[in-house]
Amino acid sequence: MRGRAHLISAYVPGRSWLHRAPLLLKFLLLAAAGILVLALPGALSRTAVLAVVVVLHVAAGLPVRKLVTPLRAMWLFLLVVVAYRWWVDSPAGALAVVAALLTCIYAANLLTSTTETQRLLDGLVAAVSPLQRFGADPERFALTISLMLRSIPYLLGSLHDVRDAAKARGLGSSPRAIVQPVIIGAVAYARQTGDALAARGLGEKEQ
Amino acid sequence: MIKFRDVLVRPDFAEDAAPILSVPQLALGEQRISIIGANGSGKSTLLKLINGLVLPDAGTVGVDGRDTAKHGTAVRRKVAFVFTDPLSQLVMPTPLEDVELSLRRTHRNRTDRRNAAMEILTGFGLAALADQSIYQLSGGERQLAALASVLAVDPDVLVLDEPSTLLDLKNTLLLRGRLASLPQQVILATHDLELALDSERTLVVDSGTVIYDGDPPAAVDYYRKLCAGIRERTP
Repeated sequence: MRGRAHLISAYVPGRSWLHRAPLLLKFLLLAAAGILVLALPGALSRTAVLAVVVVLHVAAGLPVRKLVTPLRAMWLFLLVVVAYRWWVDSPAGALAVVAALLTCIYAANLLTSTTETQRLLDGLVAAVSPLQRFGADPERFALTISLMLRSIPYLLGSLHDVRDAAKARGLGSSPRAIVQPVIIGAVAYARQTGDALAARGLGEKEQ
Repeated sequence: MIKFRDVLVRPDFAEDAAPILSVPQLALGEQRISIIGANGSGKSTLLKLINGLVLPDAGTVGVDGRDTAKHGTAVRRKVAFVFTDPLSQLVMPTPLEDVELSLRRTHRNRTDRRNAAMEILTGFGLAALADQSIYQLSGGERQLAALASVLAVDPDVLVLDEPSTLLDLKNTLLLRGRLASLPQQVILATHDLELALDSERTLVVDSGTVIYDGDPPAAVDYYRKLCAGIRERTP
């Protein structure tokens, strides 16, 4: 059942200029994209920022399919947002909101698709290292984040599998038939991961 | 040296029930030790006690003089554990990342860490598979990757719970060769009696107690007779 989960891994191996760019630069680009779309209220200017991000995506040699995946995942949410903005504001207002959302998502994707998890974690460790004097443990912090990053695709995959299993037994999409096994599976997975770390003595407080 | 003293493990939420495991006195010092016994006999619990994954309800387990209950972290840095299912062991999506996770503590520099991880994977013949999803590996490759990740933390003692159960003959032989060449003390539980014979000392566990402790061929023989005896008694 865990097979599919990891195949949605965010990182796309490659040697493009964006893959090789320093993490700090990529992070600043991501922050700039977020600030720009918030600072520019107009639909036209936001769409321009979105276009730039999409061009960067293609220029870095990332698969176009990666642009479609978020749309497929959140089309219902986008539809509601568009309908609402259209109704209270205008079609241009709706476009502005959607462009801002997609810009942020695609820009974040650019970062995670071109940076290996380990490198992201090193960046995180460096970023929180100053907090060490207040008793923070950057390595444990990084480990926690990496487990979170790895667990999200796993849990999505398990939701998918349980839904298929329910369908196969003719249970349709009864929420109880789906939610319960997913929760039990998540708890079992958490315990298993904890044991796997303990088995290597990882993630424990220095004594 | 691993020492058990008056160890008792009871089932959770059933304090009055028969103990899962009872080990009054046991010292494990040999370099290669195997543990055999039926399903549910207490083999896994015995193994998990060694690195503190399970703590005794009574008595103490010590590794080189350190109590697993009081110094769990220090003990777990000495004693690494290999599960039956390598998928439970591999925390990261690829073998390379998983080995790198083990190396984070000892190698702070990213390039050093990557090089060290590749070196370890090369030693296990897994260099070509370093960036593959762990799901694309065969069962044997996965078990080797899990072993590589666990050994990357440089433990003094390696504990393995039925490491060959999910492997075919070819991969079992590969694993046996690998284990034989390790400098670490190796303690493993297995149903594979040939694997059990690759040791200096064998324990037979039955119904939560160590009922035989000695020479591997004699222990395996004892275990065969024990199982045959049980079969004769039940119609």
